[in-house]
Amino acid sequence: IFEYNGSAIVAMVGKNCFAIASDRRLGVQLQTIATDFQRIYKIHDKLFIGLAGLATDAQTLYQKLVFRHKLYQLREERDMKPQTFASLVSALLYEKRFGPFFCQPVIAGLGDEDKPFICTMDSIGAKELAKDFVVAGTASESLYGACEAMFKPDMEAEELFETISQALLSSVDRDCLSGWGGHVYVVTATEVTERILKGRMD
Amino acid sequence: MKFDTSGLESHGQLVGASDGLFSGFPTAPSFEIPNTTDFDCFQKEAIQMVKPAKGTTTLAFIFKEGVMVAADSRASMGGYISSQSVKKIIEINPYMLGTMAGGAADCQFWHRNLGIKCRLHELANKRRISVTGASKLLANILYNYRGMGLSVGTMIAGWDETGPGLYYVDSEGGRLKGMRFSVGSGSPYAYGVLDNGYRYDMSVDEAAELARRAIYHATFRDGASGGVASVYYVGPDGWKKLSGDDVAELHYNYYPVQPSVVEQVMVET
Repeated sequence: IFEYNGSAIVAMVGKNCFAIASDRRLGVQLQTIATDFQRIYKIHDKLFIGLAGLATDAQTLYQKLVFRHKLYQLREERDMKPQTFASLVSALLYEKRFGPFFCQPVIAGLGDEDKPFICTMDSIGAKELAKDFVVAGTASESLYGACEAMFKPDMEAEELFETISQALLSSVDRDCLSGWGGHVYVVTATEVTERILKGRMD
Repeated sequence: MKFDTSGLESHGQLVGASDGLFSGFPTAPSFEIPNTTDFDCFQKEAIQMVKPAKGTTTLAFIFKEGVMVAADSRASMGGYISSQSVKKIIEINPYMLGTMAGGAADCQFWHRNLGIKCRLHELANKRRISVTGASKLLANILYNYRGMGLSVGTMIAGWDETGPGLYYVDSEGGRLKGMRFSVGSGSPYAYGVLDNGYRYDMSVDEAAELARRAIYHATFRDGASGGVASVYYVGPDGWKKLSGDDVAELHYNYYPVQPSVVEQVMVET
């Protein structure tokens, strides 16, 4: 069921910045329905979440998270820290332990003093914190390989963009169910850059 | 117990009556079969596993100048792409082509076997075999193995004395004569483009472009098709490979990227 819609998400840490990238295909098993599907959502300027897996669960989960974050903003009068947000997502997913959301979130954000934070979870909320990169989706095995080979610690924003784009494009080229372009967000302390990648459209 | 392989034997004895000295003459290959209780259906589960693997797009059509044959080049194992450069158009002999859809090993083996039988027919009868005859040979062989898990969805295209010929043959034992066929998981998409743009009196270039376009659209929509779109033409003097274009490049040729206005949002910090 995780392979029903197809997806590929990767997040990487650089020097005081992070990048999160996803593919753009929405399919129904082998048939491609759309090539501009958004999987990465902005929670606030320094916090992004990418949701891999079943598209309907990804959209619903995103709507729930936006609701919870807006309530938090009203009560606390500030934005949520990425670590807190990760715990929120984990709790929400575990609430549905015996009837889960079929999606795997990838959370990336800048925490205190703009220190980059990334983590991923399985569909019932098991957090996996990493210092270098996290991956999710149908192309995750290829992505692990590509990231492991291409990653270097403490990359600047431009180099990080190149690395994450190459890793994403080469991995989805080995997966029937994801690809058809790429969507990359590179976030530093001062700016957010959103880029769309030209990929193989097959 | 050896299975009946009379379909695989060559025509008649090429040597005189057997008299012991020639007992070493090579017999036709036969396949050993396993001892199972349910002989006819023991591979049912294997078939179910293989069934969705007709992940490909191939097409062929007859037009005024001959036969146009085209295919993609992706091999997929479930969701994993195992290769982007598989040759799916098999050259049976210099004037006949077969397309591959389904199990790669099955198609390659039986096409080569068909090529052997066609050549033997040529030698025995001093004339080339017709496309009708060749497709009938293949269909009969596949019918013998019906239900055993072979997965073959092939089109035999060629030029013989009666002109261009195109037959669709599959592992269920079906054999159809027709003017336009497309086989594989991407075939609905290819049919859409092919049926829309088809006219009998096209030139070779127009037909090649139609075939290429149909394969490209199928690779775009179907996840299990992709790689390189190869186009072959079969005319009175045999087949000729016309082009092999990478589908990614075709996309940007047909639909070049329009540079869009880049917006920059300034936010109060």
